Amino acid sequence: MTSLAFAVFCAVAILVHWRLPQRYRTLWLFAVSIAFIVTWSWELAGIFLVVATVNFYLGRWLAIAERRRRVLLWIGIGFDVVVLMALKYSGFYISALTDLLERMGVHTGAGGLLLLVPIGLSFITVQMISYLIDTHHRILNPEIRWLNFALYVVYFPKILSGPVERARTLLPMFKQPRPLDARTMERSFWLIVIGVVRKLVLADTLSAVIPGAIFLHPENYPSQNLVVYLLAYAFVIYNDFAGYTSIVRGVSGFFGIELTSNFKLPYFSRNIAEFWERWHISLSNWLRDYIFFPASRALLKRIPNRYHAVNLVIPPIVTMLVSGMWHGLAPNFLLWGALHGLYLLVERISILRSPRRLPDEFPKWRQVLSALGVFVLIVLTWIPFRMDLATAGHYLSRMFTLSAWIKPNFWLLRMYLIGKVQVNSWVEFNLPDIRVFIMLIPALLLDWRQARCKDETFFTRWPVWESALFLAVLALVLILFSLASTGAPFVYQGF
Amino acid sequence: MTQVSPHKKSIWSIILLAVIFFLALVALMELVARTSWFGQVSPYRSVGNYHYQFEIKWFRLQDYVKQNGGVDIIVLGSSLVNTSIDPDIVSQTYHEQTGVSPRIFNFGVEGITVAPNSVIASLLVERYHPALLIYTTEMRDYITGNGLDYEMRFLSDPWFRYQRGDFSLFGWLVDHSAVLQHYLPYRNWMRSDYSETMALYIKRYQDTSASGYEPDSMIGVNVDVPPDPNDSEEAQYFNAYGNYQIATSRLDNLKSILDFNQNQGTTVLVVEMPVHQTFYAYVGGEEVHIQFQQTISSLIAANGGTFLPAEACINTIPLSGRSNRWHLNYLGTPVFSKCLGEQLVVLADQQNIDFNSSNTGGSR
Repeated sequence: MTSLAFAVFCAVAILVHWRLPQRYRTLWLFAVSIAFIVTWSWELAGIFLVVATVNFYLGRWLAIAERRRRVLLWIGIGFDVVVLMALKYSGFYISALTDLLERMGVHTGAGGLLLLVPIGLSFITVQMISYLIDTHHRILNPEIRWLNFALYVVYFPKILSGPVERARTLLPMFKQPRPLDARTMERSFWLIVIGVVRKLVLADTLSAVIPGAIFLHPENYPSQNLVVYLLAYAFVIYNDFAGYTSIVRGVSGFFGIELTSNFKLPYFSRNIAEFWERWHISLSNWLRDYIFFPASRALLKRIPNRYHAVNLVIPPIVTMLVSGMWHGLAPNFLLWGALHGLYLLVERISILRSPRRLPDEFPKWRQVLSALGVFVLIVLTWIPFRMDLATAGHYLSRMFTLSAWIKPNFWLLRMYLIGKVQVNSWVEFNLPDIRVFIMLIPALLLDWRQARCKDETFFTRWPVWESALFLAVLALVLILFSLASTGAPFVYQGF
Repeated sequence: MTQVSPHKKSIWSIILLAVIFFLALVALMELVARTSWFGQVSPYRSVGNYHYQFEIKWFRLQDYVKQNGGVDIIVLGSSLVNTSIDPDIVSQTYHEQTGVSPRIFNFGVEGITVAPNSVIASLLVERYHPALLIYTTEMRDYITGNGLDYEMRFLSDPWFRYQRGDFSLFGWLVDHSAVLQHYLPYRNWMRSDYSETMALYIKRYQDTSASGYEPDSMIGVNVDVPPDPNDSEEAQYFNAYGNYQIATSRLDNLKSILDFNQNQGTTVLVVEMPVHQTFYAYVGGEEVHIQFQQTISSLIAANGGTFLPAEACINTIPLSGRSNRWHLNYLGTPVFSKCLGEQLVVLADQQNIDFNSSNTGGSR
C-alpha cells in the first residue's frame, strides 16, 4: 500500500476511471480490483469470486423465499464461516489432519497439506454475514446485479484490511453517479498523505526502534524498557492501522466512493466503551450490531431484567471473545478479547449505581485522568495481542517485578556527555530508549491537532502556501525516512 | 495558522507550489552540505552501501586525492591489506631510496575477495588513473563460494551498480547529492542495532588514516602452532578451506584486473600477502600453496603483470607482528610495509614507472 507500484496502479486506475463513461466505471473498478487481487494470487481472486457468487444468490433467495428463511440464513452464515475456518485458520488443524491422513496411509507429500491463506478473508466474511442478516431481516433489498455485488466484495481499496463496509452504505455508491469535486480531491489527497506519514514515518520507525527479541525474551530486558517498548508498540499498531485506513479512504475518495472512517483518536478515549467507538470502528459497529445486540435481545427474552447478572455479563464478554477469535484462533487473542470484555463489564456494572453521564459532562481534569487510565488499560491488552500466552505472562510479571527495574546509570551518562567515556549503546545507561519518546512527539502532535480541529484533514483549512510548505517538508521527511531499511507490512494485513 | 475556505484552492496548485518549495529546500540543504563547515560538523559520509568500511575507504580516497592532487599507487585487497600495509611507510621507504614520494592509498576492504575487487579496481582506475595498482591476494581469494554472500550484496547495491553503468535513480542521486551522502550514515537511526553499528563505524572511521590504513592492535596467540583439525574452532577452517581448488571464475576476475596493464596504462603488481606458514595446514600443506603460486604466477606473467610472492617479505615479519594466521598487526605492518617499499623501488626501476611525473601533476 505504500509502494511505488501501488501508487502507479492507483493513479492509472483513477485516471482511466474518470475518462470512462459512467456506465463502464463499475466494470472498470471490478476489473482493477480483480487485477489487484491477482497480483497476490489468482487462486485468491477465484475464492473471493466464489464467496461473492454464493452470497449473491443466497441473498436473492432469502429475499424471495417465504419459508425456511432462517435455514437459508444459517446455510449462508455456515458457508462463510466454514470457508474462513478452512482457509484462514488452517494452521490450527492442518498438521493434525496431515497426521491423520498419513496414519490412514494417505500420503500428502513432503510439505504436508498446504492451503492458501487468503489475505482479507476475515473482512469479507463479516461483510457477507451482515449482508445475509440484513437481507433476512428485510432491512436491505438484495443486490440484483452480480457485478455490483462482486465489486462490493472485491473492491480493492478495502480488500486487504477493511474497513468492514455494510452493503447498505457501499452498494448504493456503486450505482449512483460519482462526482469528483475539488474538495473531495483535496480531502482524499490529504488522507493519503496522512496515511503514508502514519505508516512510513511513525509506525515503521517506531517498529524498528523496538528490539525484535523483546517480545520473545522479555526476561532479558529491564522493566523500564518493557514499559517503554510496549508504549511504542501501542503507537505502532495504531499508526499502522490508522495509516492504512487513511490511505485506502483517500484512494477510494478519488473514485468518488467514501469509505467508513475507522479511527477517531482512540487513545484519547475516556472510557472503554468510548474506545470501541473510536478504534476499528467499522468492526466494532459490526460486532455491536450482529453479536452484542442480538445476544442482549436473546437473553432479555429469556430473563427480562436488564440488570440481571446474565444480561450484564454475557453480551460484552461474548462480543469481545468473538472479536478476539476474529483476530486469530489462538489463546492470546482470546485473552485479549476476554480482557476487553472484562473492562466493558466492569464499566457496565459501575454505571448501574449512578445515572449514566457522557464523558464530555465531566470536568476537564477528570477527563484527562480517565483518558490516561483507559490508555494504560488498553496498552496492557496489547501484551497478549502481540505475543503468545506464556511470553505475555512473563512480560507482564516482569513489568511489575520491582527488582527487574534497573537503576539508570546517570554517572556514565554524565561522563559520556562531557566526553570522558565512549559507549557503544544507549542501553549501557539503563535508560529507557529516548528514540521512542522522540517519535511519540509527532505522533501525539498529529492526533492532538486532529482532535483540536475536529477534522482529520485539518490542513485543508490552511492557506495554499502553508499547505504546500507542509507538504514539501513531509515529502522530504518521507524520502529521508524511506532510505532506512525498516520496511514492514501492515500489521492488520495478517487478520 | 490562518484559515481560508477550502473551496478557493486547487490541489494542483498546492502540489505545484510544494514541488517548488521542495526543490528550494533541497537546494538550500545541498548548499549547506557542501560547505567545509558542514564537513567538519558531520564528517561521516555514505553511499548507502551496506559495507560501511568500503564507504570509509571510498570517501577517504576522495579526500586524499583532493588533498594531494592525485594518487600514484592504489593498494587493493581484503582486510589483510587494510591492517597490514601502511602507505605512509611504503612511500617513506621509497623516498629514502629514490628521493620520490609516491602518493599511495590503502583500499583494503574487509571480506572482499577478488570478484568484487575486480569491479572496484575498474572504478578506481577509471576515476583516479593510478600509475600502479597493487592487487594483494592470498589463497582464499580463489575458493568458490568464499565471500559469496558479501559479493552478492556488494555487487547488487544500487549505487555500486550505477557506478558500473546500470542507471538507477537512487544511485545517481546518492552519487551527486552531498545531503544524501551526509545523511545516509544516520539513515538507520531507528534500528535497535544502530547505536552499536554507528559506534563501530565512528571508531573505524577515526582509526583509519588519511592514506587508508587501519592499524590492528591485537597480538596473536599460538600463531606458529599448527592448527589441530580436532579442535572445534579450527575444524571450521579445515572444512572451509580443505580440498583446496582454484575456481576458474576467480582466475577470470584476476585476469580482468591484469587487463589494466594493457588497456588503461596502469601497471599491475600482484602481491601475495605473507600469511603465516601454519595457515597452509588448512588447505592441505605447503605443496598446495606452491601449486597455487605456480598457477597464478603463470596467469599474471601471461597477462603482462608482475607477481611478488609471499616469500619476498615473509621472513622479515616477527611473530609478535601478527594478530592471527592471516593478519599483521601494528608491529608487523611497519616491517612488511618497509619491505614492500623496497620491492617497489626494484619494480619501478625494472618497469620504468615514474612516480615523479605524477607527483607534480594531478591525478593522471
